Amino acid sequence: MALDSRGFALPDTQARPEPENPVESPLQEERKSRVSAPGWLAVIWQNRKSRVGLGILGVFVILAVFAPWIAPFDPHDTQFFPSEQPSAAHWLGTTQAGEDILSQLIWGARTSLLVGLFAGFFSTVIGLVIGMIAGYAGGWLDDILSFFINLALVVPTLPLMITLSAYSQITGIAFIIFVISITGWGWGARVKRSQIITLRERDYITASLFAGDSMFRIVFREIMPNMMSLIVASFIGAAGAAIGAEAGLAFLGLGDPMTVSWGTMLNWANNSGAMLTGQWAWLVAPGLALALLITSLTLINFGVDAISNPHLREE
Amino acid sequence: MADQRSNGPTSPGLEPIFAVRDLDVTYLTRHRPPFQAVKGASLAIAPGEIVGLVGESGSGKSTLGNAAIHLIDPPGAITGGSVWFKGTDITRFTEDQMRPLRWKEIATVFQSSMNSLNPVINIERQFQDAIQAHTGMSDSQCRARTAELLQMVTIDPSFMRFFPHELSGGMKQRVALALALALDPSFVLLDEPTTGLDVVVQKSILRNLKEIQRQHGFSVLFISHDLGAIMEVADRVIVMYDGELVDSKPTENLLTSDLHPYSRSLLNAYRELWGVPPDATTSAMVDAVASHQDEPVRPIAALTPGDETVAPTDRDVAAVESDLERRKRERRRSTAGSGEVVLDVRDIVKTYTRRRGFTSTTVDAVQHVSFRLERGKITALVGQSGSGKSTIGRLVTGVERADSGAVSFLAGGANRKVDVGALKGRALKDYRRHAQLVFQDPYSALNPAHTIAHSLMRPLRNYRKMNATEARAEAMRMLEQVGLTPAERFIDKYPHQVSGGQRQRVVVARALAPQPEILIADEPTSMLDVSIRAEILELLNDLVRDHNLAMLYITHDLLSARLLSDEILVLNHGRVVESGGAERVIEEPQDDYTELLLKSIPNPFAPAAAAG
Amino acid sequence: MVYFLRKFAFFLLTLWAAVTLNFLIPRLQGGDPAEAIVQKLSGQNQAVNPEQVKAVRLMLGVPNEPLWRQYLDYLGQTVRGEFGVSYSYFPYSVLHMVGQALPWTLVLVGITQILSFAIGTALGTWAAWRRNGPFDSIVSTFGAFFGTLPFFWTALLLLYLFAFKWPLFPDGGGYAGDSPPGWNWAFISSAAYHSVLPAVAIMLTGPIGWIMGMRNTMIQTLGEDYTRLARAKGLSERKIAFTYGARNAILPNVTGFAISLGGIVGGSILVEQIFNYPGMGRLMFDAIGNRDFPLIQTIFLFLTVGVLTANFLADMLYGVLDPRVRRGGES
Repeated sequence: MALDSRGFALPDTQARPEPENPVESPLQEERKSRVSAPGWLAVIWQNRKSRVGLGILGVFVILAVFAPWIAPFDPHDTQFFPSEQPSAAHWLGTTQAGEDILSQLIWGARTSLLVGLFAGFFSTVIGLVIGMIAGYAGGWLDDILSFFINLALVVPTLPLMITLSAYSQITGIAFIIFVISITGWGWGARVKRSQIITLRERDYITASLFAGDSMFRIVFREIMPNMMSLIVASFIGAAGAAIGAEAGLAFLGLGDPMTVSWGTMLNWANNSGAMLTGQWAWLVAPGLALALLITSLTLINFGVDAISNPHLREE
Repeated sequence: MADQRSNGPTSPGLEPIFAVRDLDVTYLTRHRPPFQAVKGASLAIAPGEIVGLVGESGSGKSTLGNAAIHLIDPPGAITGGSVWFKGTDITRFTEDQMRPLRWKEIATVFQSSMNSLNPVINIERQFQDAIQAHTGMSDSQCRARTAELLQMVTIDPSFMRFFPHELSGGMKQRVALALALALDPSFVLLDEPTTGLDVVVQKSILRNLKEIQRQHGFSVLFISHDLGAIMEVADRVIVMYDGELVDSKPTENLLTSDLHPYSRSLLNAYRELWGVPPDATTSAMVDAVASHQDEPVRPIAALTPGDETVAPTDRDVAAVESDLERRKRERRRSTAGSGEVVLDVRDIVKTYTRRRGFTSTTVDAVQHVSFRLERGKITALVGQSGSGKSTIGRLVTGVERADSGAVSFLAGGANRKVDVGALKGRALKDYRRHAQLVFQDPYSALNPAHTIAHSLMRPLRNYRKMNATEARAEAMRMLEQVGLTPAERFIDKYPHQVSGGQRQRVVVARALAPQPEILIADEPTSMLDVSIRAEILELLNDLVRDHNLAMLYITHDLLSARLLSDEILVLNHGRVVESGGAERVIEEPQDDYTELLLKSIPNPFAPAAAAG
Repeated sequence: MVYFLRKFAFFLLTLWAAVTLNFLIPRLQGGDPAEAIVQKLSGQNQAVNPEQVKAVRLMLGVPNEPLWRQYLDYLGQTVRGEFGVSYSYFPYSVLHMVGQALPWTLVLVGITQILSFAIGTALGTWAAWRRNGPFDSIVSTFGAFFGTLPFFWTALLLLYLFAFKWPLFPDGGGYAGDSPPGWNWAFISSAAYHSVLPAVAIMLTGPIGWIMGMRNTMIQTLGEDYTRLARAKGLSERKIAFTYGARNAILPNVTGFAISLGGIVGGSILVEQIFNYPGMGRLMFDAIGNRDFPLIQTIFLFLTVGVLTANFLADMLYGVLDPRVRRGGES
């Protein structure tokens, strides 16, 4: 069964037994014969939710890229009066070590976007390769790979990441990206495998075989172009999950102590008794930023999903 | 074209049970211009009358039927005219107002390949919820009624406990029919009810339907693209084209009436397919061709073979008549065994084992089948689903291996014999160049992500080692060869930008690109409109003769096999029950199964008109 | 029938894989894992507690034995429930500590998850049934946002607002210090009172995922042919929504539920830490802080096995709900 980025079933043409000489549903045929598919960009832009998402993401990207110029102070600079409430000089107040919270917030965007981009990318690639091999090869290779995919899905990721981090002698952003990538590829692999199994049966793939194309060429030049919206949606989803995962790890103190990230900010806030000092801004801001960023990605995905599932389009 | 032809029940004075007047149905989308699927349609159905509504894809017939009883979803809506049921205007009825009418008065049966039965409840409950929604019957009363209904459609009542996915397509349709009749409705809408089913199963369901209708007296609106099926059961036939109802005639007069040009050309398309001489009323032919030039719904204009844009004159029609005769003669000549054998299939057997739970059942797909393919000759494999014909296709192309027997490809005379079943890897890839496929579904045979140029150039670059410029030039030449002229207009288009018939031509061109010796066509026209089928079969025929190819034509349609092929093999459950020259098999069938097939095909032109 | 057996076989296989994974993780970096750990700790300028080293060695076995021998020992130990001694809670065994924490997590996570699923699915059904209506619009627009709120953040906010700023609820712990654990009303009510905030933290964002998932799947099932026929039959709106729409839409969501359990467990670790709630999550967090490796490993194992079991149960449930799976094929 073909799935969209969240794993929900796409209109399924496989579940029914194939009739002798199938004819399309008469109503569908009548609509299709006059109306052609809108360009994918148009679909995303038409969708109100994804427009909003793109806007929000844009703001964060600007913050991250231009952080050195936008942030008022150096985030590690401890010269300021500690534990201050929001004021004109410090919009979000200061930490109990005397650092400016707003600057930390702006620089934190870099960490989140970086982790989201790279961990999202790597876990998507791993999922893509494994899912596609499993789906296309079939047979015993598929059985073995499917087992691993199911395993990757079922094992709880945060405990695994925690355990791996606890034993590791390396720390740092690269390690975090690594850990997130190797634990989070399961979902993408499963979705892509389903999709390939559906596409592999299409006549045009058999035709490619008969046109003399090699398997490599078929998988990458014939099948993959038909999966692009799924792959994009999957990447966006993986990026969002990675951002959340990094925040969780950082909050538990397993993040990179050298870099500023929203998760570590929350960690410091919690440990330094921000609640006792009533510094609500310190508590609210990083979490809100996380939520907004991840939400923007989810919203964009609404638009991407609408490309593959016409039912969800806003007509 | 609303005139006396298109409305009025057969018995004037009787209040029609169901009628639409000047109905408009439009699809209103936010981002595209509105599309009007039904334009000013008017029809009336008398009590106890069976009316057939025939049209090709895109004609609006399904939209008409479903919109009239408020079963289409937004963005489709009735935008004009009125719908009447038993004298009441139901055009603006809300769902609450419709509900008491539903199933008790108005029932529906949808297309057979549809998913119309809820997959998670069993058959008994499918009936139960419909019955209990409108009556106060208890569970056991429902069960008794369900048993009664199932027996009426010749299904054993014990199937009540089963789930939909456990029934075959034919059985599901019978269940759907029984379901529709559960509350003794006065009007039943059938939307492509037997499409996709075996010809034999279809015949039995239609006969069953007619019997039940005679007994219970409900009215029927039977919507289908299959004119033959409609003429089997309907009292009156209405023809729909491009959103308009163009003709309404009693069935028995249909062939002899004065018809709208489109209806006329539709009938002629069937005639062409079944080798019946065309209607020689020439001036009407000229009108037909001249006024209907647009795609995708295009009436047949190919009675002058190969040239679609010129209106046939008297002389042309006469020439066509003799052209058909000429082809018949040509074929008789070629069956005298002039071609060289390129594929020799000897005694092949293929068995599949299906595992269900812990038991396994063996299916004997192909049993001891032998035949030969010769250059310049077309051999047809005719059979219904499960007959093994597709399996044979796969065995011939090397996709699968026979369990015993041999498939031998004779390249360059009888000198080099290649055992197809033993081919693997590189050798198999080389073989594929010699045996190419034409697929059934034009919508999935071309990669939607690539242009036609790309799809055509692949085999040219892989097998004929052309570079990009050479390949493109050759691709354009091939497009012209299959009738897509001027080639510039098609070469850079995407598949969704051309019609079904044009796509199929591209598929044929692609198959011929590597210059194969063998062409295997598995149901190449069954998913195309009737009016286009004959053209594609024509095209295949011409290409086979011109390039001296050997062709294997796999189909369920015995009569189209006669049009195209020299030799016919009839398959039943994996065995060849009849084989011989095409004319002979159709005119003098020896085997009972062949006779059964011939009798089951709804053929309105058959001399002894079906009296039910 | 085959379906159930296959799922059971998968369950056993993944159990084995989880146990093996647990064995491999400390050994991934090669060399003597105990030495590596000691090095890591001293590298971070932490005093190396001899008890700690002893506990690690006990857990990891003799370093000079061949790997497969260590593995067999490990398997034996696991089956016998010998998970070693927790040096941070010395002299209690790891199993004892885990045993104490497990019920708390089970209750908190178990109940909130089931409630989230039930509420979310019901609301999602409503949103799909009244597609583009007011409820659906609100849910669709804000649902995406609320669903991404990190658990731990909402937990922090709740804690701040309702325990510090307006002290309505306790600021942590599983129960009040003066009501010792036991089957008595004082304890139970105290425990319940203490679990309100954590539960709300989880449930604030929990149902959202289910609402969206159910909504989208149901929009699709409502567009299917069998729903059209149901409408043609004149069935009531309610009947169509439930027996045709929801009943079919819930199937992929049951699968989704099973898969999401892994994520939920992760989130609960964070929530427990914030509320100082005495469950597995806080135990693991403390263990990390104390570098109590035997404890970390065993908690990981238990969490994994727990999720696997829940998955298995969900698969079984799916088989019951979907007749196509348990009775395959055409007759």
